[in-house]
Amino acid sequence: MNMDIFLTAEQIKRHAEFQDFAASNVEPFAYKWDRAQQIPDSAVSQLGAAGYLGANIPCEFGGRGWDVVTFGLLHEALGRSDSAFTGILTVQSMISAALLKWGTAEQRGKWLGPLAKGEIIGAFALTEPGTGSDLQSMATEFRRNDRTGGLVLNGEKKWISNGQKAGVFLVFGMLDRQPLACLVPRESDGFEIEPIDNMLGFRAAGLARLRFHEVPIPATNIVGKPGFALSHIAPIGLQYGRISTACSALGLLRACFEESTRYAASRKVSGQNLGDIGMIQSLIANMGTNLEAAKLLCWNACRAEDDHLPETFTTSMIAKYFASRAAVQAASDAVQIHGASGCHESSPVARFYRGAKITEIIEGTTQVHEFILGKTFVHNAIGDQRRQRPNPGV
Amino acid sequence: MNDSKNVKDIVRNFINNSINIDALGDDEDLFETGLINSLFAVQLMTFVERKFGVEIGGDDLHIDNFKSVSATAAFVVRKSSGQVA
Ligand SMILES: Cc1cc2nc3c(=O)[nH]c(=O)nc-3n(C[C@H](O)[C@H](O)[C@H](O)COP(=O)(O)OP(=O)(O)OC[C@H]3O[C@@H](n4cnc5c(N)ncnc54)[C@H](O)[C@@H]3O)c2cc1C
Repeated sequence: MNMDIFLTAEQIKRHAEFQDFAASNVEPFAYKWDRAQQIPDSAVSQLGAAGYLGANIPCEFGGRGWDVVTFGLLHEALGRSDSAFTGILTVQSMISAALLKWGTAEQRGKWLGPLAKGEIIGAFALTEPGTGSDLQSMATEFRRNDRTGGLVLNGEKKWISNGQKAGVFLVFGMLDRQPLACLVPRESDGFEIEPIDNMLGFRAAGLARLRFHEVPIPATNIVGKPGFALSHIAPIGLQYGRISTACSALGLLRACFEESTRYAASRKVSGQNLGDIGMIQSLIANMGTNLEAAKLLCWNACRAEDDHLPETFTTSMIAKYFASRAAVQAASDAVQIHGASGCHESSPVARFYRGAKITEIIEGTTQVHEFILGKTFVHNAIGDQRRQRPNPGV
Repeated sequence: MNDSKNVKDIVRNFINNSINIDALGDDEDLFETGLINSLFAVQLMTFVERKFGVEIGGDDLHIDNFKSVSATAAFVVRKSSGQVA
């Protein structure tokens, strides 16, 4: 597709830069990182030096202050090479967005600069061993400490990306049954971090299990107010998480399409190119069409966020829902097209296959998206009937 | 500056469309109606910010600022006149 119609000259130029960065600094190492289940600090430093970890952080805090479309293009370009690597950026943008919107002047001053430059890596800790989608049931607990005026944190979080490297964690829990979010520095007393290895995909994303035992939290580390963590703080982070994941899945989808078409154009079967076989063409047609559709949904979601539209939260869910499912389908078909050579761990499509599935789980599972979007669409239709005008969809 | 009657009409219209009822009283507690979904709070916030040119921050997070049509409208008027929420 000719993307020029939808993007500015500046955005197209940046996308080319991001693709060059990915081709030289990510793609050649993705297999090695996946096997080692680790991304070296030097690679993360390169992300910081390029300013990519501060893509969504305003220049006044040392970030790049790029528009959300450019942010999406960055995640697409890196997602083309390695979704685990892109996961670092996803989480960095989630904690930055939450702090930018809800942090105190002191918190923003202290954390946003180092996050923008990659001097510190952030993590966003919502999920627990006992609960993921149903966040109202979080068991992690904050308690007031009358002596210090601060809080005390107890509980556990699980599957936390960047957990192995992060210097600061945005941790969600309950204070007097009200959801609360607090910043917890890595070196806090009573805070234990256990690496989680052997994930299906995102193996190099540095997942960890976090244990908090009587961790002292100064009142100055509270982000927002008690009662607003799940209604206001988390959704701002998750909004960036969804846009990032949608665009990263889009990159993965492009990767599957490019690998599959290249293979189909050269692999010979019964004296003809694989790509001349109707059934293979059918898989590729589906992949290519989903790729174009996902692109439009992703840029639409990015633009809605740039324009600060109230429907931005729905458009990002639509983009994430579509792109992640399309990526799973494309990765499965890419392995099919490659036959046995797509089943070996050294094949990029085997890694895409494992990584794609993760995009359907993180930042709200496919089912949670279906639940919210399905309800929203029916709700909109009821409103339209009430107002007696045709249903415009979203 | 945002005029309070005008603000209330705009806020009421957005909220009524969001929760699909006409008969909601201006002082009725939105969060007790059970009609709002998990995205409503941030959608309302984004609408208010965009429509009235105010920026909501951590200090504004009080349930009293957003619990009803009247409360939200009063918050917008206070905020746009530069008063602390
Ligand atoms: C690689 C990876 C990285 C991650 N990184 C992070 C991170 O950085 N921070 C963090 O907090 N978490 C992280 N997670 C956790 C992730 O956010 C959760 O796994 C996700 O929210 C789902 O929660 P769960 O695994 O507990 O599944 P559950 O919530 O137990 O769901 C199990 C199944 O039930 C379905 N389901 C649940 N509720 C409903 C419903 N109401 N209606 C219909 N179906 C439903 C789900 O879709 C799913 O299929 C990560 C996970 C992975 C795999």
